[in-house]
Amino acid sequence: MAVAAATEEVVLDDRVVEFVRGLRAAGVRVSLAESMDAMRAVGLVGITEKETFRQSIRATLIKESDDFLIFDELFPLYFGTGGPPLQSALEDLSPDEQEMLKAALSAMSGRLQQLLDWLTSGQGPTMEELEELARRSGARWANTPGEARWVSRRMLRQMGFQHLEEQIQDLVQKLQEMGMSQEAIEKLLGVVEANREALAEQVAQQVGLQVARDRAERSRELHGSDLMHKSFQSLTESEADQLRKEVQRLVAQLRSRAALRRKRGKAGKFDPKSTIRANQRYGGVPFEMKFKKKKLKPNLVLICDVSTSMRPVAEFMLRLIYELQDQVAKARSFAFNADMEEISVIISGNRPADAVAEVLYNIPPGYYATDLGNSLATFFSDWSDSVNGRTTVIILGDGRNNYNSPRIDLMKRLQQRAKRLIWFNPEHRQQWGTGDSDMLDYVPICHEVYQVRNLAQLSMAVDELLAMS
Amino acid sequence: MFRNIDEVRDGLGSEQYIASEEISTVVYLAQNLCKPILTEGPAGVGKTELAKAWAGATGRPLVRLQCYEGLDESKALYEWEYAKQMLYTQLLRDTLREVLSEAESLTEAAERLSQEEDVFFSDKFLLPRPLLTALMSDEPVVLLIDEIDRSDVEFEAFLLEVLSDFQVSVPEIGTISAIHQPMVLLTSNNTRDLSEALKRRCLYLFVDYPTFEAELDIVRLKVPNLSPQLARQAVEVVQQLRHMDLRKVPSISETLDWARALLTLNAKSIDEETMRNTLTVLLKYETDVQRARRLLGGNGGRRSDRGGRFGR
Repeated sequence: MAVAAATEEVVLDDRVVEFVRGLRAAGVRVSLAESMDAMRAVGLVGITEKETFRQSIRATLIKESDDFLIFDELFPLYFGTGGPPLQSALEDLSPDEQEMLKAALSAMSGRLQQLLDWLTSGQGPTMEELEELARRSGARWANTPGEARWVSRRMLRQMGFQHLEEQIQDLVQKLQEMGMSQEAIEKLLGVVEANREALAEQVAQQVGLQVARDRAERSRELHGSDLMHKSFQSLTESEADQLRKEVQRLVAQLRSRAALRRKRGKAGKFDPKSTIRANQRYGGVPFEMKFKKKKLKPNLVLICDVSTSMRPVAEFMLRLIYELQDQVAKARSFAFNADMEEISVIISGNRPADAVAEVLYNIPPGYYATDLGNSLATFFSDWSDSVNGRTTVIILGDGRNNYNSPRIDLMKRLQQRAKRLIWFNPEHRQQWGTGDSDMLDYVPICHEVYQVRNLAQLSMAVDELLAMS
Repeated sequence: MFRNIDEVRDGLGSEQYIASEEISTVVYLAQNLCKPILTEGPAGVGKTELAKAWAGATGRPLVRLQCYEGLDESKALYEWEYAKQMLYTQLLRDTLREVLSEAESLTEAAERLSQEEDVFFSDKFLLPRPLLTALMSDEPVVLLIDEIDRSDVEFEAFLLEVLSDFQVSVPEIGTISAIHQPMVLLTSNNTRDLSEALKRRCLYLFVDYPTFEAELDIVRLKVPNLSPQLARQAVEVVQQLRHMDLRKVPSISETLDWARALLTLNAKSIDEETMRNTLTVLLKYETDVQRARRLLGGNGGRRSDRGGRFGR
């Protein structure tokens, strides 16, 4: 008995682990500690009360109300009963009538005989049979709940649900001919009708589970460091989505790390004013010292190249700009192709996707139009006040200038004026200086140059950046 | 301590808190897994009330830490009582002089003084703030950390340390660990994202607006004198309002206020007149009031009243 209980527990734990994997594949972040908590919780409340069990798992695994939807979609797939059980029609029939039914069924063609056998005997298809059917209906290609529904419809067709109506009529006729009583036939039909719905439900659950599992398997290949090393350009749509999520996470992490740094560097200058104020209650005897809080206020100017050569990665660069501007109060953003334009207002006034789209719309690519030199000249004449001794300037671009003048002199001026000049270039280092690239001329001027081709490089660069500021 | 989930529900119920199945389950888990609960949800659905009821039901004192921007360790943890220290120094001046008078050199005097130093940096002069109170309490307490989303990220990080080890270090005294591990409930109105580390350590409970039946039960419990029919009508109106596109939909506490207002005004039924006079109890923006009047007051034939101009 105890052994049986123990194995049951192991099975359940496996189920929880599998469920967690399904959740992760669907984009919910669940840590190891949280899945351990879920198991402890299940051990505590047991599984007899289904609703309690569900709430316990949810409270331990899901920490964001937005993710409830995914949870509610996946939970029944992993912890469902596999659909309602089928009933047997045979019990209500006399031995004679059972014989008749058997005879009537054996006269039918293979596939339909099988289906009607399932529906009358109450012995549904086995797990293996269902899996086989699902495989043949293309369950592996389905990825979303909607596609899973499509697959289960296909599966039901394969099982012969389409012609079921006629077949049942046929069966009834045959049974009548054999002399089965009307009453028994009515009963039989009732059971078949109920079983039909139950079987459809079983199939839907089976397919749903299989699709969720497959997704969990597949996503393992996608997740983690592999994705981190993919270059911005070679991403599919869904990968891009995941990357966007990673950027957001990265920024959230940066935010807290930045906050910690700020905290450590807090001890500032002695503040006589507030010291006097604070010590009034001790008769002016200075017991409590007050210090000015040293506020690290980063000051950023971001310049993004959105020319044709940069288009494929521009969205991500702009996205990065968006997050940076969101985080740093004093940040101004500019974008250029042929000429410089300020985009701070677009960025701060819109949601990320809209902002990026609007910038890209406002600055059309245009072939062979990139002109950083000219853009820098515009920058100096119109916005030179945005750069002072505390400003960090970040340029995101490939340094391909269409053989226009690189205006090294202006870049030098920018570098002298700013606290720091940093360049993120998506191109491989070997390609710098080839063709129309003026990158090698710019490199010695910049304080820092990073090749930012993928998230791993980006996170390294931003890390170094924050460590130095 | 609750022994099972039903006991949690009954216990909270005896504190006039109607707990849903989910709330009871999570509270039970929190107690047995020794984990803090993080509750989120719209304002005024009874997140803070839950902590009070929890404390009441378990017979534990409630220690409350209200978070706000700029809250730091010294306000949340402890402070030295300078005034008291100073007063003691003044009063003990003679004793001090005695101690020091036997000293022959300045070094020796300083030596002696430093031996007595501990007197002034003992827990006698330590002014515990909520977090330290909760840790040092002789009996187990319920610690409510209210509106954690309003505090700064630094404070959240600091809180993380306290919540994971249930001990803090005071440089002058040493490490103070919790005598009893407190039951912790954090509330958040979701004005900013909390760190993942914090979420990982907590059980998550999302409290939403109650269903019609649940809200009716709450009104009956808290405003028992209101006639059942009127209570039903009132809750119906509130539930309807929640589905409208308003700037601020009424919370449970506002439903209760309204119910009390209806009781005070001796209202027989919720007619247009009563509605006009009392709607401001439920809705806190003029545009909302106008809009709600327009949408609810469809029966009075006053559809085209001035509300139309002000509605969004």
